[in-house]
Amino acid sequence: MARLSGLQREVLSLYRQCLRHIRQKPEESRGNFKRFARAEFQKNLSVSKKDFSTIEYLLRRGRRQLETYASPGIRSIH
Amino acid sequence: MFRSAIVRSLRASAPRVIKTPAPFQIRSSPVAVRKQFAPCFAAQGVRFYSAPAGLNKTEVEGRIINLLKNFDKVSDASKLNGTSHFANDLGLDSLDTVEVVMAIEEEFSIEIPDKEADQIHSVEKAVEYILAQPDAH
Amino acid sequence: MASLRSTSRLFAASRPLFRPASFARSYATVEGTKNVEPSPSEKPNFKTFKVYRWNPDTPAEKPTMQSYQLDLNKTGPMMLDALIRIKNELDPTLTFRRSCREGICGSCAMNIDGVNTLACLCRIPTDGAKESRIYPLPHTYVVKDLVPDLTLFYKQYKSIKPYLQRDTPTEDGLEFRQSPEDRRKLDGLYECILCACCSTSCPSYWWNSEEYLGPAILLQSYRWLADSRDERTAERKTALDNSMSVYRCHTILNCTRTCPKGLNPGKAIAEIKKMLASN
Repeated sequence: MARLSGLQREVLSLYRQCLRHIRQKPEESRGNFKRFARAEFQKNLSVSKKDFSTIEYLLRRGRRQLETYASPGIRSIH
Repeated sequence: MFRSAIVRSLRASAPRVIKTPAPFQIRSSPVAVRKQFAPCFAAQGVRFYSAPAGLNKTEVEGRIINLLKNFDKVSDASKLNGTSHFANDLGLDSLDTVEVVMAIEEEFSIEIPDKEADQIHSVEKAVEYILAQPDAH
Repeated sequence: MASLRSTSRLFAASRPLFRPASFARSYATVEGTKNVEPSPSEKPNFKTFKVYRWNPDTPAEKPTMQSYQLDLNKTGPMMLDALIRIKNELDPTLTFRRSCREGICGSCAMNIDGVNTLACLCRIPTDGAKESRIYPLPHTYVVKDLVPDLTLFYKQYKSIKPYLQRDTPTEDGLEFRQSPEDRRKLDGLYECILCACCSTSCPSYWWNSEEYLGPAILLQSYRWLADSRDERTAERKTALDNSMSVYRCHTILNCTRTCPKGLNPGKAIAEIKKMLASN
């Protein structure tokens, strides 16, 4: 695999954080959370890796989404 | 690294008392340990990675391959072996790779920091990394 | 109410340092309601509004400036009236925050013709030939169109503990009272509506927003430092006494110039600096 740019690593790191947070969720809903996180990332697969401002924006939005969904009050997602 | 070396040397010198409270005591004052076990520590250099904590290469490799077998995104299971590259051989994308590495984390009950996790692209690398982790089991 | 605000805004352009009381109360003499209720025969007075557009659903597309034409004779006198009319009649996708339409909620803060202000307190320049350019507050992340992301701003506000901190109850168990003199110290501070116009106009805040609190939050800090009923003054001072929180203010005074409520955050910051220095 080609060496990753800093921004790419940040994206992967965000995905990793998502998976780590999913481990805190009730077991029966983890699959749903995983599929959701995956789908959220896949939605923007088409963004060019040189489009820094877009990726930065998406990262910000993703982090915020994670902050919201990480709340222990959110037990499942459909 | 230093701490892990000490733990390894400890396990080497006293494998049967590992469940006794002694290691905890010693962990909290590593300087004293170093003096006490200095000879062992030096002799340990030869046996570096395959610490006698119970994990050997075949076992680690087997567990990782097993884990990949159950990972439904692997495109071609026939290519699954000790040297498979996640992206080139198994057809995994970067997000799948993250998932695999996370699964490996869970399998061996460790936490892999981002920086190292980004380097793990193949079964070989993963095995190498796990063997270097004294806490893995 | 709206006309009171609008007159004070008219004077604001050439606002003297000291505003005579008679000016502030001159709303009864505002010239007619010609702008609002046009006679049908009047010939249209078109003006172009260029509005910043950016849609988060297509993040790869660059922001654009979109032009809208409105007949000023059929539009209310304020920028917010124009925006609402654009949204109602020309383009329902235009997105902006608004609520009270009278300068008390602080929702419609934006950058209009180069000045941070509240759209509801900003008169449409009557010169129809010139276009007006409307942007979101500068140096903020944009949520959509004219809606800025104020998360950091609110986080900083929270960090200064903007509430009365007091342990000792009053002798009679009633409310905490203060003398008229003490109450007067809060004038010019309590009116702040946290619209973020000042903070986002401050170059120091642009470059150091992570650590520098910015004029709006510092004005609020001072509001609690100056409150005679608060008992944590020392604690509040310690929290501010570092090189970043307050001392990134270099008295540029963009804050005071831009404040749509006519407050003086620059002075409040100076008072904080005085309090910290007198220790």
